[in-house]
Amino acid sequence: MTPHDADPVPLLEIRGLTKRFPVTRGVVFARHRGEIHAVEDLTLHVARGQTLGIVGESGSGKSTTARMIARLIEPTAGTIRFDGQDITRVTGGELRDVRRRLQMIFQDPYGSLNPRHTAGQIVAAPLRVHRIPGDTRAQVAALLERVGLNPEHGSRYPHEFSGGQRQRIGIARALALHPELIICDEPVSALDVSVQAHILNLLGDLQREFGITYVVISHDLGVIRHVSDQIAVMYLGRVVEIADGQTVSTAPAHPYTAALVSAAPAHPGTTSRTRIVLSGDAPSPMTPPSGCAFHPRCPKARLVSGDPHVVPEQCRTFRPPLSDHGAGHQVACWFPSTVRDDLVGAARSMTTDPAILPPV
Amino acid sequence: MSPPLLEIRGLSVHFRTPDGVVRAVDGLSLTLERGHIVGVVGESGSGKSVTFLAAMQLLDYGRAEVRGEILLDGVDLLTASPREIRRIRGARVGMIFQDPMSALHPLFRIGDQISETVRAHRGIGRREAAARAVEALRQVGMPNPEERAHQYPHELSGGMRQRVMIAMALVLEPELLIADEPTTALDTTVEAQILEIIDEMKSRLGIGVVLVSHSLATVSDVADDVVVMYAGRAVERGPCTRVFSDPQHPYTWGLLDSIPTVDARRERLIPIPGSPPSLINPPAGCRFAARCRYRFDACMTDLPDLVERGHGHADACLLDPARRRDVRQHPVQAGLFASGMP
Repeated sequence: MTPHDADPVPLLEIRGLTKRFPVTRGVVFARHRGEIHAVEDLTLHVARGQTLGIVGESGSGKSTTARMIARLIEPTAGTIRFDGQDITRVTGGELRDVRRRLQMIFQDPYGSLNPRHTAGQIVAAPLRVHRIPGDTRAQVAALLERVGLNPEHGSRYPHEFSGGQRQRIGIARALALHPELIICDEPVSALDVSVQAHILNLLGDLQREFGITYVVISHDLGVIRHVSDQIAVMYLGRVVEIADGQTVSTAPAHPYTAALVSAAPAHPGTTSRTRIVLSGDAPSPMTPPSGCAFHPRCPKARLVSGDPHVVPEQCRTFRPPLSDHGAGHQVACWFPSTVRDDLVGAARSMTTDPAILPPV
Repeated sequence: MSPPLLEIRGLSVHFRTPDGVVRAVDGLSLTLERGHIVGVVGESGSGKSVTFLAAMQLLDYGRAEVRGEILLDGVDLLTASPREIRRIRGARVGMIFQDPMSALHPLFRIGDQISETVRAHRGIGRREAAARAVEALRQVGMPNPEERAHQYPHELSGGMRQRVMIAMALVLEPELLIADEPTTALDTTVEAQILEIIDEMKSRLGIGVVLVSHSLATVSDVADDVVVMYAGRAVERGPCTRVFSDPQHPYTWGLLDSIPTVDARRERLIPIPGSPPSLINPPAGCRFAARCRYRFDACMTDLPDLVERGHGHADACLLDPARRRDVRQHPVQAGLFASGMP
């Protein structure tokens, strides 16, 4: 059963979402030089009370996606529906109503808090902006307490808190309006390991207590696996695989997902693992490769052709669509497989031959 | 028997600050043999980076007070003259840091930056040095090294820049490579590439590698031995296989239990309560005691030393070694909870 079946109207529904940033040159007369294809034709949905994790490396478009959902940047194309309402182009008072129900937590607990405001002022800001009635001071104290801070510390400034405590302030601010959806962009990647666990547990507790829906964005597959019901793997602006956490970690069907899983933190001391070491870097989103964007680095394509120098024409020419593999598992690959191929060996045969490394 | 490649004995690094003396490293010892990788793991402020800055005499001696010995092949680096340490840096000990962009000069071509190192130490001609730079880039898997040598740092991706740093660190064929968080700023698949290169260099060149990292998972992937640091002290040390399969120190348990991993989804992570102590006037007793779920009265007064318990596996904990495994499962039943937080 997929979340889609369980709830006919998902809380968040994204269709064909696309963002292209123009690249221009020249100061007075901006000449159009090209476009960065940050996000291309993204379709996702999240059921109420669930967590969707989006994992990808730098340049995969995951943060752009988060910002489009929060209406911080305008999409080039596509629609975002929130609780059945199309919020892609809403403005003014309508947008304010949406923002009340949809909040965001940022990566950098240093950069996202105003250093000249006290913790109490920061948490009270959404209450003031949205003119929430009642005793603001009492509400702020309750919020600080709920996220594990001493309410008496509301008069302190951000620099007086540790990184983990600052992230708690950011969470209290996001929580102030009792939102239904919170978008978390790399919520723990700036924190030490032992502090990460506190924040991840807090996010889990708040979800159980208030039925909050999360979209969590991270480069860390360990974090994503821990928090998510569904995981979407992005590569170069597109989703290459969507599945539940168990499937992603034990039976990934896309060769890129398989490589990510093999390189992600496993529990130290469990087994000795073999990494699938991909060659090269992700290509520039300004000039994405033809066909499947992953084909220049793909070990599976070499396995299929039987030659580390040859990529099947299908992969080079045609883009694989995201197709259904049952039970909500979707994969964008011409040769998907959940059986363990010898991707490690295939990847290794590629790295030893610099001639076939993709241009960077 | 020849001395180990690197031996640190009783190292202390104290910084004088207006607020008092910060005891950043306090009595650290470790040994590294040739052809081995030792991982040094700890969170921010554990003293892991400072230790190796001290080894290369890269600290401000107006403020830092360094005691103990850091022996490279039996010779103390801490008492080396400025002239001697300059010869050792780069030529015998290569270093790579977390952020390759700030370690590379933005206005010089990468090939020139690498060959400058060669010329400074080996006194060879420009053309030969340039050839060596290209060869070094080839060794670290840089595609088209001849063309790449003519590029500037900003033209390269993060992973490629880190390859340049490794090439620069290894071009003089050092005996020891110190890698301080070499993959922290990199993407997962690029991190895998860099770790693979470091591992390969270890096997092929027989060098010793110190891998400083905040990530237990990174260290467990490639290191032979691991040292876990907390608040300036080593709390556990031993071969990776033993430390990760049978960890002995409650801090190591805490770190292992708090990492979310891909292979198992637990409902809740078990975080370590509280935060690290101030290193100005650190508490008497075990520095981890205030956060330890297993502490008893003696932990608050006695500072445990690292004690070897067999197979090269040592820990600094007062708990009875025979009861550790039991205690880890049932902290409360073991009756170890002391009353009153400090």
